[in-house]
Amino acid sequence: MLKPAPRRGRQAQRQRQTLAGYAMLAPSLVGVLGFLLAPVLIVIVLSLFDWKLLATPEFIGLANYRELFSDSDVWHSFLVTLYYVLICVPGTTILSLLLSLLVNRKLRGMKYFRALLVIPWMATPVAMGLVWTWIFDPGRGALNQFLAVFGIDGPAWLSSSLLAMPSVAAVHIWQFAGYNMLFFLAGLQNIPAALREASALDGASPVAHFFAITLPLLRPTMLFVLITNVIGSFQAFDTIFVMTEGGPGNSTEVATYLIYDEAFRKYDFGYASTISVLLFVVILVVTISQFVYFERRTTYDFS
Amino acid sequence: MSRFRILPYGVLVAGCVFAIFPYFLTLLTAFKGPGQLFETAPWEPGLPPSTAAFDRLFASGFGGYLVNTVAVTAAITAGQLLFAVLAAYAFARLSFPGRDVLFWVYLSTLMVPPVVTMIPLYLMMQELGLVDTWAGLMLPTMLGTPYAIFLLRQFFRTIPADLEDAARIDGAGRVRTLLSIVLPLSKPILVTVTTLAVVANWNSFLWPLIITSSEDKRLLSVGIALFKSEIGVDYNAVMAGSLIALAPLLVLFIFFQRFIVRSVAVTGLK
Repeated sequence: MLKPAPRRGRQAQRQRQTLAGYAMLAPSLVGVLGFLLAPVLIVIVLSLFDWKLLATPEFIGLANYRELFSDSDVWHSFLVTLYYVLICVPGTTILSLLLSLLVNRKLRGMKYFRALLVIPWMATPVAMGLVWTWIFDPGRGALNQFLAVFGIDGPAWLSSSLLAMPSVAAVHIWQFAGYNMLFFLAGLQNIPAALREASALDGASPVAHFFAITLPLLRPTMLFVLITNVIGSFQAFDTIFVMTEGGPGNSTEVATYLIYDEAFRKYDFGYASTISVLLFVVILVVTISQFVYFERRTTYDFS
Repeated sequence: MSRFRILPYGVLVAGCVFAIFPYFLTLLTAFKGPGQLFETAPWEPGLPPSTAAFDRLFASGFGGYLVNTVAVTAAITAGQLLFAVLAAYAFARLSFPGRDVLFWVYLSTLMVPPVVTMIPLYLMMQELGLVDTWAGLMLPTMLGTPYAIFLLRQFFRTIPADLEDAARIDGAGRVRTLLSIVLPLSKPILVTVTTLAVVANWNSFLWPLIITSSEDKRLLSVGIALFKSEIGVDYNAVMAGSLIALAPLLVLFIFFQRFIVRSVAVTGLK
């Protein structure tokens, strides 16, 4: 290091550094404060107003919230969202975990298999939503044509209120299983091989080893995968917009779709804001509970 | 080969076919004529290939959507990279009052879902007169994302400060050190951040759908989504449109496959 500068010089240097620091932060600070934090505060304020297009906004206190809790459309949309999350998150997590065990083997050409499995992650969701709409097409679609080869008469996937949601959720799982596989793969590669040898010496079967050793050691990765998938699937919109538009009936009308509908088709900004505040709170509570659940458990560090 | 080898290969091949099949189907359908769509099975090619669907698409202004999407993705990504690098460098290397508090503020905004901010953002843009403008489309995201700033800052902190001190003793200023020392050493994380940004910006849908309305500012994602209502269910044209949206990222992926697979894995680690 340099020898200490005289006192005044150091003070001037500190000032210069403060100035440089804030100058470099300035653009992103505008973004973070203006376009991320301020909107959160504004949406809470909006939720206290009767704010419709062209009408003068009127402060109505908690009236929107009272309406919200007795609004069966809102309850329905949150239950539908929960249903979607409960298909997508376990589906994606289990499939990506199994895939990661498979691609963790040392086989020739493995890096190409890994790459191919990740490709769906980059797909534009609206484009892929339309591609899957074509695959699910009851008459000419690939799925029912394929089933017809075996003499099975496939259903109208997207226009059945029973099958529409699982079909839309399948697209999410298809898109993100390979992507999340990479996180589990990174986690698996951090586990020392000596542990497997040790448990093999003790006579543990691969399955027993997986549940007793591998899975607990993957907890940090598991937390990351669960949290990102839960947050993502609570906000599902793009594929639903093109595949079912919330239907048939309102069987796939997830919360984000309802918010979009209230705000940008009915122009009821106040009420739509109230629904988004509720969605925000739900996502926060679920995310924090996941953190708390995983924090309580021991984590292991081999680094 | 023993069955212990055949089984994993079989499952892998099946998984990869399942992952790639929708792309394959898009390609086949896009090049079929309307008659061929009904005469062939979905997984058979239409012979001879027909570009009628693309002609229909480009006649309805799809070329413009493509140009818009390329330009907007490039502009937002460039802005995000520039401003995220600056912020990350300040957080990693400079000391100034309020730095740590601000870093926590940035991190906390990782928790804010876009659905929650879209209504206030729209009303803000309305106040600023920026609805249906390029500025309104790009401004909310192009000043840098907290996630990119976080990833870059963590990486910058692993670069030995001695290297920079040496350059500074030689008389290099902050900007020089950043450009000639820090950034060349940060290539892996820059590839990661750029990949995530390009994919997110290219695929972005909800905000463009809300904030733009005129056709000359329409992006591909919005264009293909509004297809159904504007042209009706015409699978040839819809698949041709999807192909145009999907192909560029796929080509990028083929070229940068090695880096992308590695870089995605990096983002999951703390």
